[in-house]
Amino acid sequence: MDFRNAMLAAMAGAAMIAASAAGAQQPQTGGTLTYTFHPEPTALSTISTTAVPVAIISTKLYESLLEYEGAGMTPKPGLAESWSISPDNLVYTFKLRSGVKWHDGKPFTSDDVKFSVQEIALNYHSRGRTYFGAVDSIETPDATTVVFKLKQPVPFFLRAFQASETPMMPRHGFTEQDIAEKRVRQARIMQEPIGTGPFKMKEWRRGSHIILERNPDYWKPGKPYLDQVALRVLPDGVARALAVEKGEVDLAPQSALPPSEIQRLRTVPSLVVSDDGSEGLGPMMWLEVNLREKPLSDVRVRQAISMAIDRKRLVDVIWFGAGKPARGPVVSGNPAHFDASLPEFEYNPQRAQQLLDEAGYPRRQGGVRFRLTQNFLPYGEEWVRQGEYIRQELGRIGIQVETQSVDMAGWLRRIYTDWDYDFTSNFTHNYSDPTIGVQRAFISTSIQKGASFSNSMNYSNPRVDELFRRAAAIPDGPERKAIWNEVQQILRADLPVIFLIEIGFTHVWNRRVQGLIVNGISMYSNWDSVWLQR
Amino acid sequence: MGGALRFAVVRLLQVIPVVMAIGALNFVLLNMAPGDVADVLAGQMGHATPELMAQLRREFGLDRPYYEQFAIYLGKLAVLDLGTSHLQQLPVIDLILDRLPATLILMVTAIGIAIVVGLLLGVAAARRQGGWLDGVISVVALIVYATPAFWLGLMLIVAFSIHLDLVPSGGMSRIGAGTAGFAYALEVAHHLILPAITLGLFYVAIYTRLMRASMLEIYRLEFITTARAKGLSEGRIAWTHAFRNALLPVVTLAGVQIGHILGGSILVETVFAWPGLGRLVFDALLQRDLNLLLGILFVSSAVVVLASLVVDLVYGLLDPRIVQK
Repeated sequence: MDFRNAMLAAMAGAAMIAASAAGAQQPQTGGTLTYTFHPEPTALSTISTTAVPVAIISTKLYESLLEYEGAGMTPKPGLAESWSISPDNLVYTFKLRSGVKWHDGKPFTSDDVKFSVQEIALNYHSRGRTYFGAVDSIETPDATTVVFKLKQPVPFFLRAFQASETPMMPRHGFTEQDIAEKRVRQARIMQEPIGTGPFKMKEWRRGSHIILERNPDYWKPGKPYLDQVALRVLPDGVARALAVEKGEVDLAPQSALPPSEIQRLRTVPSLVVSDDGSEGLGPMMWLEVNLREKPLSDVRVRQAISMAIDRKRLVDVIWFGAGKPARGPVVSGNPAHFDASLPEFEYNPQRAQQLLDEAGYPRRQGGVRFRLTQNFLPYGEEWVRQGEYIRQELGRIGIQVETQSVDMAGWLRRIYTDWDYDFTSNFTHNYSDPTIGVQRAFISTSIQKGASFSNSMNYSNPRVDELFRRAAAIPDGPERKAIWNEVQQILRADLPVIFLIEIGFTHVWNRRVQGLIVNGISMYSNWDSVWLQR
Repeated sequence: MGGALRFAVVRLLQVIPVVMAIGALNFVLLNMAPGDVADVLAGQMGHATPELMAQLRREFGLDRPYYEQFAIYLGKLAVLDLGTSHLQQLPVIDLILDRLPATLILMVTAIGIAIVVGLLLGVAAARRQGGWLDGVISVVALIVYATPAFWLGLMLIVAFSIHLDLVPSGGMSRIGAGTAGFAYALEVAHHLILPAITLGLFYVAIYTRLMRASMLEIYRLEFITTARAKGLSEGRIAWTHAFRNALLPVVTLAGVQIGHILGGSILVETVFAWPGLGRLVFDALLQRDLNLLLGILFVSSAVVVLASLVVDLVYGLLDPRIVQK
């Protein structure tokens, strides 16, 4: 290539960049956004199960009363165009948008809202009781007004109206029999959705793909921008990564790719790799410990374990840099509730050894102080590697660890029904408020056999119970913030679990996809503003 | 063919108790594992109360004693009712019929490739025993035999799909292309190339080695010497005299491998996102979707038993003495 040609090429390149920059301001209509995830959804509604693949697809079909903006999840109008709250925080009045239609053409009314909360979310959604347990009555004075009367203030009430949490479902989508016989999960609508969302169902070929198409009657003029959203089910992690790399698939949301592949794709120029847009989920990982017997019932032993694990190294080596060391039970991405004064946990194997000596567990023959069994969350390769790393680090301070491997059903049975374990890795979501996501693991009333992702540790601290109880019933503000700070400090000191990492949810997408990250639950947003650059 | 027909009918009747026994055994074995579909659902939700778990188990009939569940299951099986998938909330038979064609296309193509290519290579190697061609075929067959199918599949994707861009990397058709009829068949065929080769190659290696050994054995027999003495060409000896006789052990193995290939298809279907039965069984297993799992095992054991019946009939065609015995 001579100089002239090089100049021409450079100019053409500059023109293209300028064109694409100009295009970035003006959304283009049309095109199909293809994303990949595994496993395939088992239903098309979070009422059936709130599993991640179901939540991603159902939120394009169903909407809720509100939408949310930014990482802090500021509520803004959705199906409700305005709302008001009484001064005592006990009455919430929503004014619904008129002229909204279900996908089958029938009008959306206040009656559907009441039905969706009272009959559906409250009874079937796994967090329905948390959100609506304090609702005293729901009134529908007219077709576009809904009034919720609460028994006590619910500080996170406005957060309840996310499409994945409280989807609005059409009353006419269920038969009398479905409701009376409690067969809501088997209702026809779970496979053939009728929502108000920007996209509606087009085709589901099991094992292969799901296609949603533009809802031509969507209530937001000019939206959605996309013609179609298609899910391609690619069961192999490497195959998923190859499909994204090749441009066959536009998006791999919410850590759909193995961390090792994500690491590799960071250098591919056509792709964007980002951890943004999941702040509202607050992923948190810890070691859950069984406090019922010695030696783990001794806080010094738990401190020693905590000090023996290098969280920074876990993030960098096992999780390929996705995430950051946890500093307590609340994730740092939740600035309204996180206590920013908390320091990082100390990595100090020498001090750990001293603590074990002080606790009365000296090294015996073979240098072993005591033995523990370790389970790990059966979510894939990284969890196995992490378990091996922890076994190695604890071995160094004289704790001999035997690792047991079981599948998901067996793991849940062992940890939450049989309580038959010493310690295990675990992964939960904070969600946007500690009352929703954090409380259930630490209050003593959730020490219940068979309740999954609850207080399996048998942790019981009256002060913590009291603080959670108070925080659940007062509005957000300095007083509630002070309660959360105290809770975080107590749990850090008590170590009912060994806090490890805020694992990042990494999304990988093709540069041509625009407008994807809009709030703290971007993959559970309705994607009506997502568009493709052509 | 009266004899062959009676033979087939008798064998079919013998099959029924075998399949029922397989169903019962599956039920007992699968119920021995800790955890059930309610546990799996709770795991997916990331949170569930004991009340919710109890509600789920009641809905799914998992709160009844095992012997009751077992009796219900056997009763349904007797009338070929495979029940409902607890997780997908759809009839098991619908889910299976949905996936069966994809798996059958993949299996038949892979077995076809394996038999045709394997036999040709085996005969070629046997005819040039000790020569360079025999050496090359034997070494390649050994390498292919020792290569894990999923790795081979991924390498084929990298080479032919990513770098050469000749074939799609996965799926059974283009999504939302809306093609139909002959164009759709071509599209499926295009998508079928890599998975069928991946699944077939392992068996190509086996058939090659088996056919080579079998041919060499036949070559040592006296009727081959006689044929040579009569002055027949080597090609005629190989194809009309030795080939048919050498085929018997290959047919035997092919029958056994239809069951095996169902297992192999799990890996291949996973790597190539092929929407077949193999993946359905894998997901059902991980998710403790007992009804679905039992249904698939039942259907696939029926397929295997039927395949072995076909093999017996093919024996008869190759060597009528076997059926008359």
